[in-house]
Amino acid sequence: MSVLELRQLGRRVGGRTLLADLNLRVEAGECLALLGPSGCGKTTTLRLVAGLELPEQGGRILLGGRDITEEPAGRRRVAMVFQSYALYPHLNVTGNLALGLRVRGVPPQERERRIDAVLELLQLAELRERRPAQLSGGQRQRLALARALLRQPALMLLDEPMSNLDAQLREELRPELRRLLCGGEAPVLYVTHDQQEAIGLADRLAVLEAGRLQQVGTARELYEKPHNRFVATFLGRPALNLLPPRDGRQLGLRPEHLRPVAEGGLAARLQRREWWGSQQLLWLESEQGDLRMLLPAAHACPDALRVGWERHHELWFDAATGERLQGLA
Amino acid sequence: MTAWLLMLPALTLLAVVFLAPLARYAWLSAHATSVLTALEPVANGGANWLRLAQDGRFWQDAGQTLRFAAVSVGLELLLGLALALLLRGPRGGRAAGGGLRTAVLLPWALPATVMALGWRWIYNEPHGPLNSLLIAAGLPPYPFLSTPASTWFAVVVADVWRSTPFVALLLLAGLQAIPPELEEALVLEGADRWQILRRLLLPLLSPWIGLAALFRLAQALGVFDLIQVLTGGGPAGSTESLALYAYLNAMRFLDFGYGATVLLATFLLLLLPGLLWLMWQRRAGSAA
Amino acid sequence: MIRAVALLWSLGPLLWQLYTSLRPADALVSGPQGLGSPGGGIFGGWTLQNYSQLLAADPPFWRYLLNSAVVGVAGTALTLLLAIPCAYGLQQQRGALRWGTLALLLAASLFPTALLFLALLEWARQLGLGNHLLALALPYAALSLPLAILLLRAALADLPPELEDAARLEGLGPLQRLRFVLLPLLAPAIASTAILVFLFSWSEYPIALTWISRESLLTLSAAIARIGASSVFTIPYGAFAAATVLGSLPLVLLLLLFQRAIVSGLTQGAVKG
Repeated sequence: MSVLELRQLGRRVGGRTLLADLNLRVEAGECLALLGPSGCGKTTTLRLVAGLELPEQGGRILLGGRDITEEPAGRRRVAMVFQSYALYPHLNVTGNLALGLRVRGVPPQERERRIDAVLELLQLAELRERRPAQLSGGQRQRLALARALLRQPALMLLDEPMSNLDAQLREELRPELRRLLCGGEAPVLYVTHDQQEAIGLADRLAVLEAGRLQQVGTARELYEKPHNRFVATFLGRPALNLLPPRDGRQLGLRPEHLRPVAEGGLAARLQRREWWGSQQLLWLESEQGDLRMLLPAAHACPDALRVGWERHHELWFDAATGERLQGLA
Repeated sequence: MTAWLLMLPALTLLAVVFLAPLARYAWLSAHATSVLTALEPVANGGANWLRLAQDGRFWQDAGQTLRFAAVSVGLELLLGLALALLLRGPRGGRAAGGGLRTAVLLPWALPATVMALGWRWIYNEPHGPLNSLLIAAGLPPYPFLSTPASTWFAVVVADVWRSTPFVALLLLAGLQAIPPELEEALVLEGADRWQILRRLLLPLLSPWIGLAALFRLAQALGVFDLIQVLTGGGPAGSTESLALYAYLNAMRFLDFGYGATVLLATFLLLLLPGLLWLMWQRRAGSAA
Repeated sequence: MIRAVALLWSLGPLLWQLYTSLRPADALVSGPQGLGSPGGGIFGGWTLQNYSQLLAADPPFWRYLLNSAVVGVAGTALTLLLAIPCAYGLQQQRGALRWGTLALLLAASLFPTALLFLALLEWARQLGLGNHLLALALPYAALSLPLAILLLRAALADLPPELEDAARLEGLGPLQRLRFVLLPLLAPAIASTAILVFLFSWSEYPIALTWISRESLLTLSAAIARIGASSVFTIPYGAFAAATVLGSLPLVLLLLLFQRAIVSGLTQGAVKG
């Protein structure tokens, strides 16, 4: 079974640590999203796994039990969809798909069969003769996918493949992408900075920051039980409210968990109201700093109010390290 | 590793053709190799160099070559700039079409010796076209190529005619790299064309001008083809260039040792524009 | 208009050569070449005898054109053969190594080639390369290499880097990547470079002059110089002019056809180099 294992993977370039001590395991058929802000090391991880860069700082990469750390990029049975798709501009759709097969010595009939199959799968059959420049964004993405799938890889890597598409197209293509990629035999490693996409596509998420793994788990786990302040703030839209630290501790509250109360809680004034369709985002100024509160659109909200929440929604963090403090009353 | 293998053949050839000769010249210049020694090299210490230091003809040629280079390149920069501006067309207007560009490029593309011959005819006294024009205007014919005072300038004209397109192309590239919005902003502030040229275009073009000057100076200091065919170095050696002198020493006087010495001295002279350029770059960098 | 002046300045000398080449010898030396000149003036006295003279000479003039063409093609082919892999390898290098090499190449491209003739002549004598047309391709390639490498590397740098990554992942080795992916995309840059190199070798003089002494093997530049040097007193200017015109013709054609490629090659190289 092709399980992907990363053991203490690291990479440093010219004094900068791009990735440090990454341990990760992706099961066969699982789709794992690497999530994080730009510069967090997610693309580096992908390139290391692909073999486009070598981990000079040690660390091993195992695929299906085999150590592939030293293997050159073309031999790893890994396929990748690049952010820019990296389609060969001088070849048409068929040519783009055929090149890899030709070079690997696949006989012409077999080549044709496989190409036909993948074109069928991705609904590109009518566009055989076209060149990448003549395809739309979505079609190019499908071609890049087709090229990757054609290799029947043991591992699929995707580097922000939807970032070139507009928001609407992204939403439409998400289920399609999931259907094609996840649930097969090959594990899928998917890099994105967009949480919605990650949550919609992946079975589990791995959040990275400054080259280090912050937390791995399902979206729900990360949302309800974040390991640290960073994960808590990164996941969830609108972002977590963080109150000023006191006595070495800091309280975090999600906007959707706040609501106006008759007594108790914090005193606050309403600054601004953003209408979000079925919900409204309220910008408040409280005695403990600015807060955002998410309420159903119909809910009336006075200018001066008291804001409260339920105790079990509290997220406490160590003010210095950002680690989440468990079990606080 | 494969990268080095790929680069090796080219770099080897380059080293052989560029570096080895210099080393060879240095060696040759330390030996006497001439008819007197039956063309066998005989070590003679620094005799060649001593001779060079006292060789009036060498220093005269050096001066002539420098003068030629300075004037030629200066003119080429001026005319090249004008040409580049012309080819670019007015802001917002159409750039020069392919036909004009072809015509403008022609002088540079033609082989040097071919047109050098052509110029010999043009300057010919009294039958050449220039003199014909003079005669037609009622003026006496002028021996362009027989009077030292005018010959070197005639050579300059021929070189300027040939090399201006190259400079113009280089400057054109520089002009096209300037975003049009910058000029438009100045226009809105009420600047006229000269001011735009002086305050915006020239400063932004200065790296290109420097590059063009560097290229042309280096090539002009080594001028050979033009001189040999157009004037043969005459009249009375007044247009002889360093490269031609070296050639004569080696091929006509068969004094390889001394020829190599002249060549090496010329190469050292060449380093001058290089150094000037580096200094100028540094100053420009710190001023920015 | 200024454009007309520029046109006249650029084409004038050449056009006059054309005119001169079509006049009979006596007409040329018998006075000013104006409208009222003997020999019939502008509308009379045309002759092709200068051309026939050249073409009937021994060896005939077109022989020199052929020689130059042979050397030009050989030199260009060799240059490209060496420059393309070198540019590719250079692009793989990083940091000081790359910039250092580029600086050296720039310095080499500035070098006035005439200075190298002596050492190269010695090479030619020792290795018996004299009077062999194809042997000229070696020094010509070497002299064109710096510029060619600079131009081609700049073009390579322009290609999207992920393209090669994708090809690598598909299992293509370096030479395969070069052949199937990079070269097709570099075609325009290669064409521009090839033309510039060809122009250079057509125009080159000192090395051709010193390496080749046999008349029938002379390249155009050397042959023309010989024509010029040969007759000091009786000057066949009509023949000169005809030689000039014939010698220029191939290049004029080349220029007309590839003007855009030449300009873009030079300016691109300048911008990115």
